[in-house]
This record gives sequence, C-alpha cells and structure tokens, in this order.
Amino acid sequence: MRRAICRDWDEINPEDYKGIWVYMQVDEDAINEASLQLLGVAREIADKLNSHVSGVLIGSDVRALANEPIYYGADKVYLVENKAYSTYYPRLYGSVIVELARKYKPLSILVGGTMKGRELAPYIANTLRTGITADCTSFDADPETRDIVLIRPPFGAWMLAHIKNRDRRPIMGSVRPNVFPMPPRDTSRKGEIIIEDILVDIDPGVELVEKIPIEKKEELPIEKAEIIVSGGKGLGTREGFRSLEELADLIGGVVAGSRKAVDAGWIPHEKQVGQTGKSVKPELYIAVAISGAAQHVFGIREAKRVVAINIDPEAPIFDNADYGVVGDYKEIIPAIIEEIKRIRKRV
Amino acid sequence: MPLKIVVGIKWVPNTTSVSIDEKTGTLIREGVPSVVNPHDLIAVEAALKLKDRYGGHVTAISMAPPQAILGLEHVIGMGVDEGILISDRAFAGADTLATSYTLAKAIEKIGDYDLVIMGHETIDSSTAHIGAQVASWLDIPYIYYAVNLEYIEDKHLLRVRRILEDSIEIYNLRLPGLVSIAMHSDVPRRVSLTNKLRARIEKPIRVWSNKELDLDPNCIGLRGSPTVVAKVEFMPKVPRKQEVYKDGDPKEAAKWLVERLVKEGLLKIPGGE
Repeated sequence: MRRAICRDWDEINPEDYKGIWVYMQVDEDAINEASLQLLGVAREIADKLNSHVSGVLIGSDVRALANEPIYYGADKVYLVENKAYSTYYPRLYGSVIVELARKYKPLSILVGGTMKGRELAPYIANTLRTGITADCTSFDADPETRDIVLIRPPFGAWMLAHIKNRDRRPIMGSVRPNVFPMPPRDTSRKGEIIIEDILVDIDPGVELVEKIPIEKKEELPIEKAEIIVSGGKGLGTREGFRSLEELADLIGGVVAGSRKAVDAGWIPHEKQVGQTGKSVKPELYIAVAISGAAQHVFGIREAKRVVAINIDPEAPIFDNADYGVVGDYKEIIPAIIEEIKRIRKRV
Repeated sequence: MPLKIVVGIKWVPNTTSVSIDEKTGTLIREGVPSVVNPHDLIAVEAALKLKDRYGGHVTAISMAPPQAILGLEHVIGMGVDEGILISDRAFAGADTLATSYTLAKAIEKIGDYDLVIMGHETIDSSTAHIGAQVASWLDIPYIYYAVNLEYIEDKHLLRVRRILEDSIEIYNLRLPGLVSIAMHSDVPRRVSLTNKLRARIEKPIRVWSNKELDLDPNCIGLRGSPTVVAKVEFMPKVPRKQEVYKDGDPKEAAKWLVERLVKEGLLKIPGGE
C-alpha cells in the first residue's frame, strides 16, 4: 500500500518515470565542464537500468551546442530556446525544467554542483515536491526496482550514506565539479535533439543589472592537480605559504590548505582540502604544518602518496602519511627545495 | 518604508570542536557544544546592516529542539528584534524538503515580510538547499551568495551583489524575495550585553509547536521527507606506509625524503627515474 502523502504534493506513479537527465549549464558560449562530467556517470546509471541519458539545454542562442551532450554520452537533448531565456535566473530556468519534467517524467535529474547549479537544483526538486541529495560522490542503480541510490559522505564521519528517494520522482542529486572524470568526446556519436517551445508564465523577479567577468589566473583547480603542497595552522602566518608556493612551483604542483588555514584567511575557501572543503586525488600530497584531523584526512583519502611535515611528532597526520618528517617547516621546506635543485643540477 | 526581515538560523554542533572516533568512524558528540551555524551569523549581520541603514524589524527563526533558544538569544544579543523557535517532536527527522516546508509555513504565519535572509550553507550538512526550497514554497524570487545588499526604497527592490566562480554580478531583486549570504563575506557583530539582557528580561522569543502551525503530519518530519538514509557504509582507513624521519637535521631529512619521492617517480627530475 502506498503511504499517505503530504497534501501539497501531487500524486505520482513512480513507474511512469524513465531516463536520466543531466542539466547542461551554459557559461557564455560553452557548456560547463561539471555538466559534461555528469554525462559519464549518467551513462553508467542508464546502462545499468537499460535506460537512456538526456541533456537539458536552455538559452536564447544555444542550438550550436546541442550536439555536445550527445558527443559526451547522451542519447537525447531537450533543447529549449527562446529570447526569454537569454539570461539565467534560478526561478526562470528552474520553472522550465519543472515543466519539462512534468511532461516527460524523468527517473532522475542530475545537476552539476557549480555555484549556479547548487542554487538551481533545490528549487527544481522542491517545486516538483521531490527529494534531493547534495554533493553525491557515487551512485548505485538497481535494475529490478529501477531505483537509484545516491551516495554521499555525511558530515563528520568516515562513512558513506546511501540515500533513497522513497516514493517521489524524479530522483534528484547534485555533484560537485571534478568528482567524476570527463567522458571522452566522440563526434561520431548520434542522438536525437528534441526542440521544446516551453514558455513559462513566471516573472523571474530578479534582473541582472551588471556582470563583470573576473580575470582569473589560469590556475588548475586543486581537485585536478597531480601534486599538492598544502599548509595548515602550524604555518603561523600567511607568509608561511610563500615557501610552500616556491616548492609547488618547483615541482609543478598547486598550493592548498586546511580548514584552519582558510579560517585564518591565509588561503581562499576554494583551495580548502577536507570534509568541509574539497576531496583531492593527487599523485603526491605534501601536508605542511597540518595536524591531520580526521576531517582533513578524509579529503586526501584518494591521494596516492602523502608526505607530512610537522614539528609535533605526535601529530595524527604521521599515522596517515607515507613519508613523514618531524621538524620545523621553516627549515625543512627550504632544505627540500635545495635538495631538489641540487639533484636537478647534477643530472 | 522600513524593511521587515526574517532571517533563518540553524543550531548546529560546533564542528570546530568535533572529533571523530578513530575506531568507529563516527562523530564524538559527547560534550560538544552547539552553536548558531557560523554562516548564519553572517546572514544575521546582513539583516542588521540593512536595519541600521534603512530602519526595520528583524525576526530570527529556527527549527530545532528547545535548547536552540540559546541560539536565538545570541542573535537577539546581536540586535535581532525577536525570535521564533519552531520546535516539536513532530518536526523531527525532516529532510530538506520537510524542513523548508515547515520554515516556509512559519514565515507565512509571520505574514508581513519583505525579505528572507539565509546563510550560505550549514557547517553540519552543507547542502545549501533550504534557501531555494523556502523560496519555492513561498513562490518568491531568490538569489544566492550575496556579498552586499542595498535597498532601493522607492522601487522596493534589493540590489544584490554576488561573486561567482568567474564573474561579479549585480541584480535587482523584487521584494518580497529571498537571498542567501556568501560565507566569509562579512564578520558578524558581537553580542551586546544590553541586548542580551533585553532577551532575558523581555523574552522576545516565541515557541511554535505544531499546535500553532497546524501542519499536516504527512508534510513534516520524517513522514514529510521523501529522502531516507537506506544504509550507512563504513569507510576503512586508508593504509599508509607511515615511515617517519625523526633525526632532526633538515638537510639529511630533505635528502631522505627527496630520495624516496624521486625513486617513486613522484618528482620530475630530468634524467631521473
């Protein structure tokens, strides 16, 4: 027997819902990488369920991009193109996806967890009166029950919570950028482009007055870096990061930090490693003056090799490192830099 | 026209003092004090800045067990005018859909509001769902990640500045509307003793149970939550070599370490392995 549901929810029949959708976020004139990355994992889920993958593309001039989701693994693309959608507003784009979902009844909608994606996805879920799981790190699918399990680490534990959407559809989830690798782009792939003229009768209620692009240094995000030199509270000062930057430059790495370094304002939040920051998967992770709280160690569980440099021989980071050096980073880091330079000169 | 502002706050375990049981992988909660979610204190600060500048009234709401009254006293200490604690066993076990429903119904009961302000996300679950969900229930426009707010009185608009990954954007938000405030974008003011004393004496805090809100039990708490945790899987600790150099001579230590890293091909040394 189906359980009684909230009077503010529509009655739905979960069996009517089929296919995995991925929302395609468009930035200027390209699809955001986080959206394309999700097509790979959506493909895996769909194959398990013997189902299909669709990209959802919204904008005023996006037709030229409509084949991209197909090249990256989608079977279909829902293209909603109208002058009214020239600017992204969460309530406007959200309402379009809600209308599409009411019409086509997807089993699941996945959204890349960019800043805009994290703003948009819960609106869609809520308006459809369905549940949503943020920051999924993996998925499981059961071909018998046609159920999708969304897996995420709950806060403050070395655990993975398997989350199910009991009786509401679509099953919604967001996934942070760079959690999944980019699927290969295959321009020989063919698919169907479905043009939808959905005009939603909703006032976005917001108006973009000005947009100023941020000139960004071409910096590798820490989730993609092969070598990371990371600093913690034990550095003592913001200046402490200088020697870490020098080492990172020398060995082709990037600089990151612990939560305490971020809280101290020494390094921006987007470079925070750990449970409330990012999970990283470099070949080499060098933790400098980081004590190694479990929340931090969680973020480096997929690092191939971990090096710890810490003045406190009792610091828990040494139990979670492959190679540890007990000592003052102010002496150890310059010595490492010298040693690397010496070897490089020799050969 | 003075602004009527509702600000949402969450009572969370203070994760800066939380540690993890190495054996079971679970949170050690004993003796961990709860606090107002730090990102919500910045939302409170944003509300109070608007009030300082344009005049108005700030109501803080929180859905939590009774102890969270301390959190409401804290923000009243910062200058919030009144607090509403939404507290009932019937609300327990709610996911973000059921939580946002309860909060939205409470905001509807408050009735006369211009602006709802939320924090960026919480430090204990960090979903950032509630703002968009509350906006969906209330059918009002919303925008996340504000770093600066200005009230354009004659048009009853809020000018919102926000910073995304690759751009700074400025929006006009029609009121009533909802904004979330970017984490680390400001520093919350201190609690003033006068305000805190007022909280103790005047008790401007109301407690609403489901008697007051009168919500369908199928829409709230566990029953109103589509998502359930089906299983929790323990993640084993990653085995590491744990080789430690303790001698103390930096030069020798560096040599020891670099030798190992080069041997494993982790450092690119021209002509090396």
